[in-house]
Amino acid sequence: MGFLRKYGCIIIFLSLWELLSRTGIINPIFFPPFTVVLATIYKMTLTGEMVIHVRLSLMRALVGFFLATLMGVPLGLMLGTWFKSFYKFTELPLEVLSQINPFLLFHILILFMGIGEAPKITIVFWTCLWPITFSTMNGASSVNKNLIKAGRAFGLGSFGLLTKIVLPAASPLIFAGLRLGLGYSMFMLVAAEMMGASSGLGFLTLNSQESFQLNKMYAAVVVIAFLGLLLDFIIYMIGRKYFLLANEGYVTVGEN
Amino acid sequence: MAEIGTVGPTIGGALTPQIGSNKADAAVLSFNQRVMSWYGIIAFLLLWQIAPYLGLTDGRFIPPLSEIVADAGKLIANGEFFVHVASSCQRVLIGLFLAVVAAIPFGILLSGFFPRLTRFLNPLLIILGNINPFALFPLFILLFGVGEMAKLAIIFWSSLFPILNFTIYGVMHVDPILIKAARSMGAGKANIFWKVVIPAALPSIFTGFKMGATVAFLFLIAAEMLSANAGLGYLVHNASLNNYIPRIYVGVLGIAILGMGFTMLINQVEKLLLSYKDEVKVT
Repeated sequence: MGFLRKYGCIIIFLSLWELLSRTGIINPIFFPPFTVVLATIYKMTLTGEMVIHVRLSLMRALVGFFLATLMGVPLGLMLGTWFKSFYKFTELPLEVLSQINPFLLFHILILFMGIGEAPKITIVFWTCLWPITFSTMNGASSVNKNLIKAGRAFGLGSFGLLTKIVLPAASPLIFAGLRLGLGYSMFMLVAAEMMGASSGLGFLTLNSQESFQLNKMYAAVVVIAFLGLLLDFIIYMIGRKYFLLANEGYVTVGEN
Repeated sequence: MAEIGTVGPTIGGALTPQIGSNKADAAVLSFNQRVMSWYGIIAFLLLWQIAPYLGLTDGRFIPPLSEIVADAGKLIANGEFFVHVASSCQRVLIGLFLAVVAAIPFGILLSGFFPRLTRFLNPLLIILGNINPFALFPLFILLFGVGEMAKLAIIFWSSLFPILNFTIYGVMHVDPILIKAARSMGAGKANIFWKVVIPAALPSIFTGFKMGATVAFLFLIAAEMLSANAGLGYLVHNASLNNYIPRIYVGVLGIAILGMGFTMLINQVEKLLLSYKDEVKVT
């Protein structure tokens, strides 16, 4: 019963889609029935077409995300602790940079990097970087002062304070930033793949639409949605295991 | 990306710098700090201007600032710039307005009066909100063609779910103590709704609105790049196709400034509207 209460709504939605499309109430050419879409996914997995696109897309998204994590977390920690006054100095430029629309950045990146893997990964990197950096910075700069005083009283140096107190205390916010970043990574990747790529899920979606293979298009859309939810679920599980997430719930299917 | 319950800034989110102010010369300090961030941007712009001359960057790809400003001046002088800004603003504002009009009353009604139904619908709404609107682009084009309708629909759809989900979250997570207190003081249902639930949910609704606005700007550009003959996204796309590099930067900076201005405006409105709410530090 718990299952029904949680997922009943989604089941109803999918059955409604199936039913309306089968009976022709909504145009089955524009909205092929859900089972047909699933069958298309299955067929494309068997031929290996789907596997190639999924692998490439995931690779790009994750590489971009990891690079952004590698840079964003230390950068945020530094700006939030040791270089607070430097942050005041760079606040406006950073904000302008973070406001730059990734779609538009793509046009500039193409100038430098051509249309290979590099601009796509860079776009993902750029998009993820800001939520991760700002979240980490917020977390690091709002650590309870008493914790820091206590740490200092016990004789921790500034490096020890950073790794033993600031980092753990900021981890819930860092993690929130990471989760936001991971969400954005898939998001922007699909956009980048639509603008200039010959592989990946974004390309698959646009290409099937342009060649009017709507079953394939829906298959790609469903897989993109599924991957997004899956990544969010995975990072949530990791977060629950390794970070303190007292006040944070998993908001996708499950809670409520 | 409806990230309910996530604190911390989004891409377009406002930063909350902490200003130390228990000193006697707090005013001087805070003034200096405010100027400080302007030093930063001036240094940044100066670096941009002189980097090509120093050979740090390639002037063809990152033109010096003066060239960009000159091109912007040209566009402003012949009035073209305002045409693009106006048509972009119009799209964002209409799309966002429709989303607000649809999402906020619907969300409040749904979660305020049918909490069980809301709990039932919530997973679906969150999944729909998590579906990449970019992946739905082809679908919108199939349904609405490539005209103005499709762009408005994209902006509407992408900003609808953050607003709706945050509205529902806000109404569902009103502190029960507040409601109990109001009830024990004899407030009726309507009174509780208007005087307790709505004010308590408003901050969350505002967060949703801000997120929706950010997303709306994002998708405006995307929509204008796919098909348009005016708008800042079109300006950049067209400049890029014609390999007219300074103009790309004009468009990019124009949109960044427009987005920032809009965020600042919303923040001001929020301050006015939510004056009853204490400034809460993100912890």
